[in-house]
Amino acid sequence: MVNLTIDGKEVTVSKTATIYEAAKEAGVHIPVLCYAKKLLPYGACRVCLVEVEQMKGRLIPSCTTPATEGMVVTTMSDEIRKVRKTVLEFLLVNHVVDCPVCDKGGECDLQDLSYDYEVVTNRFQGEKFDLPKDEVNPLIERNMNRCVLCGKCVRVCDEVVGYGSYSFINRGFETKIATAFDRGLNCEFCGQCVSMCPVGAILPRPFKFKARPWQLKEVNSVCGYCGNGCTVTLGTKDNEVQTIRFNDETGVNDGNLCIRGRFGASYVNSDQRLTSPLIRKDGELVEASWEEALEKVTEGLRSAGSDTGIITGARLTNEELFMLKNLAKAVGTGNLDHSGGESYKGVTEGLQETLGLQASTATFPQVENANAILAIRTDFYETHPVFGMVVNQAVKRNGAQLTVIGDKQGKLTRMPHARTLQHKPGLEVNILNAMCRFLLDEGLAKTEGLQGVEELKTALAAYSVDAVAAATGVDAAAIQKTATELATVENAAILLAYGLPYTAHSRELGLAAANLALLTGIAGRSGSGLYLCGEKSNSQGAIDLQILPAAGALGVTGMLKSAGEGKLKALYVTGEDMLVSYPDKGLIEKAIDKTPFVVVQDLFLSETASKADVVLPAASFAEKAGTFTNAERRIQRLNPGITSPGQAKTDFAIFQDLLTALGATASTSEAAAFAELAAVTPGYEMVSLDMVGDQGYVWGGETLAPEVRNLVTVEGGKALDSKFQLVVGSALYHSGTTSLHAKGPMSVVSEPYIEFGREDAAELKVLDGELVKLKAAGGEISAKAKVDRRLPKGVLFAPYHFGSLNLNRIYSGQAAIAVEVSK
Amino acid sequence: MTETAQQETVEEIDLTAANQVIDKYIDMHGSLMPVLQGIQEEYGYIPEETVHLTAERLNVYASQIYGVLTFYAQFHLEPRGKYIVRVCMGTACHVKGAGRIAETLKERLGIVHAETTEDLKFTAEYVACIGACGMAPVIMVNEGTYGSLTVQKMDDVIKKYQAMD
Repeated sequence: MVNLTIDGKEVTVSKTATIYEAAKEAGVHIPVLCYAKKLLPYGACRVCLVEVEQMKGRLIPSCTTPATEGMVVTTMSDEIRKVRKTVLEFLLVNHVVDCPVCDKGGECDLQDLSYDYEVVTNRFQGEKFDLPKDEVNPLIERNMNRCVLCGKCVRVCDEVVGYGSYSFINRGFETKIATAFDRGLNCEFCGQCVSMCPVGAILPRPFKFKARPWQLKEVNSVCGYCGNGCTVTLGTKDNEVQTIRFNDETGVNDGNLCIRGRFGASYVNSDQRLTSPLIRKDGELVEASWEEALEKVTEGLRSAGSDTGIITGARLTNEELFMLKNLAKAVGTGNLDHSGGESYKGVTEGLQETLGLQASTATFPQVENANAILAIRTDFYETHPVFGMVVNQAVKRNGAQLTVIGDKQGKLTRMPHARTLQHKPGLEVNILNAMCRFLLDEGLAKTEGLQGVEELKTALAAYSVDAVAAATGVDAAAIQKTATELATVENAAILLAYGLPYTAHSRELGLAAANLALLTGIAGRSGSGLYLCGEKSNSQGAIDLQILPAAGALGVTGMLKSAGEGKLKALYVTGEDMLVSYPDKGLIEKAIDKTPFVVVQDLFLSETASKADVVLPAASFAEKAGTFTNAERRIQRLNPGITSPGQAKTDFAIFQDLLTALGATASTSEAAAFAELAAVTPGYEMVSLDMVGDQGYVWGGETLAPEVRNLVTVEGGKALDSKFQLVVGSALYHSGTTSLHAKGPMSVVSEPYIEFGREDAAELKVLDGELVKLKAAGGEISAKAKVDRRLPKGVLFAPYHFGSLNLNRIYSGQAAIAVEVSK
Repeated sequence: MTETAQQETVEEIDLTAANQVIDKYIDMHGSLMPVLQGIQEEYGYIPEETVHLTAERLNVYASQIYGVLTFYAQFHLEPRGKYIVRVCMGTACHVKGAGRIAETLKERLGIVHAETTEDLKFTAEYVACIGACGMAPVIMVNEGTYGSLTVQKMDDVIKKYQAMD
């Protein structure tokens, strides 16, 4: 710690703090343009100049100068004022000053500073630029005539996102920010640059001319898409979410968001939202009153009783899931589950058997200090982009060694010095097994206190590094090196995401990853962690609350099979478009077809909803209170920013009505429900809602220690013997099926595609954008081809979000699908 | 990636030479400048496809490479002529009629500073001073120097190179 005096105030700060940060700590405001909390010091704009008694004779940039012991700093004087004003005059020489029509007006740092320093006239004259605006892309508008060259966009895209869209180009007066070859932006469209720009040079296009900042009401909530649980600050006006505001004070994400979080919330305002209950009459779904709809549902569920199947998505709040569980009890069924293909088995069975836990063992920020990181599947970035940005910072800033076990290349594999163990599809477990065996053979494994060491040794006989290397196509030395690093560095992390398109070997992957976490000592060690991250915003909550089949009852797959055989009398589906997103479409069609009474509760008339007997209109995340638990066990609060359209109700309110109608007791409010669920949910017992503050509350603490330490034998996969293999997964721009109703993500990726590597594309003479067909055992799918650099020879990729692709006609949960390609 | 974004229009070129240049420097710290210089040496300019190749192989953003390429005057992003005609515009040459020399070049070949003839034979470059003021007005054509020029002499120089391959 160092002590210094700023404007007469004494302040003690850490020795890594800059003068600017020390001043902030002391409550002294210093103006800045190029400084941002999450970026490295840069010192480009020179408006933060201050006087330091020990450094007389010149002004000192406070944002790049470390605070040192005994420093005496003055942040305002006639001289400082004069110099800052001059800096502003320079900045305004070639600035367009079109404030009346600039969306940044009212929250523009340049506008505010010019006002503060009364830059009424400019002593300098110079050429104004008339650079064309980048209006090519639908989401981010760049107007370089307003740019002050602070470089924040360049830096955030490199330091945080790791994409590198921007650079300073040209020299001297001509310098400007541009992409490679000065083209339109074509990137991840996460909009980090939008959030960083201190002026109106980079703006969110969908928000243009919608509202002045002071007209917006701001409400902090949690993004409704993935398990990352980013804070989104809703900017609302006229009962619509107009935009997502920048907020780096609340939650887990430092103000970072992906395209879904920043541009994907618009589905809540969609005119396609359901606004009234629908009941099937004479084969047609027609609008009905809530009374009629609820009566019908109550009657249907009551008469079906234990032959009811309840399937929910993992985007309902904890409180809603708790109510749903009570509803299942009231109906008298144990057939309750929450995700297609039971993709969560890696956590619920894998981690349960090995660690006695059903959650990640550590929190996201700890990854930033990891020395070695192993990501299983490169799609981890696609499913959890903002956590991916934490990985990028660990690699870029702190020199972590990232290793990716992947069947293709991706964002993670392109990070500096990333080591890619590129394997034939479906063989992730084999590689993890080889790492375990290598650690055991070499005596590097931390076997103390572990059960099943000898059994695992015997079971791994077939998984020598050489044998696995030969079978998977991965370099043996790389497997050894990765295993050694994970076992010997101070802090290590293993990352694995699960979700609907990743149902294959889910239990096995959980087991294998947990075995490795035990042998390397990662599990339960502070600073290290095993992360199993759910695809949806409340996947972890669904597991914590055990939205799983009761003993002896049916899980999702069991329910669908049973329903297909006509054995279920009712199906109640909430927040999930099974026909599109679940594996094995035929199975679901049959289940819906053969079940006499089907209720679907959703935001939209989804493909599944359109087949239902009763459709109940539900509310989006932006319209509800409650909590989500993210993939690091962080319980966070949602706050309603708008009211639901028409007669739509929150799932919570609907469950309340149904429970009451069924004669059961319903929680009276979300807050009451939280108290009730906390009392009966392991890990939540001590948590009360007022403990869930701005940073949420991590149940079980920053590091969760394993309850048991059992090594469990797990079989690897077998490579397909097919020239072309299709792997399915998530596309960065989408999450589940909800984002298909969001204008932002849809404006970038609006239709399904089948991705080809360059080699295959050349061999098959497939051109980008050309229609191709894939024939597989279950049927045939067709979509436009996308030719990219990510895929190795013989491997194709398709995203699972689009119903029109009918991907689940051929995808029934396999790790890879043998396909024939034709045009 | 997006339908609305501009499609990259990348010409087909043989990347063997660029790969060889990268192979030579890839393990060196700070390899970007020598790689780009080497590529320009091979191709006469920096073709776009080589930028993407360099970005991929050196794990540097293409945008950063573009920043470097536009910062330094030594790099050229367009194909250049076989013969680079550097017309000295320094003080001595200026006084002794460099303007007329540049004018002659424009009249005969139709190119001014930074332009290249359509047949990719000549590129004009006006430079500040080539350090041969005693020979003013002076030009350089690649490595060859021609001094004490008149319009007539300039014509002869142009003709000489036009006659060559």
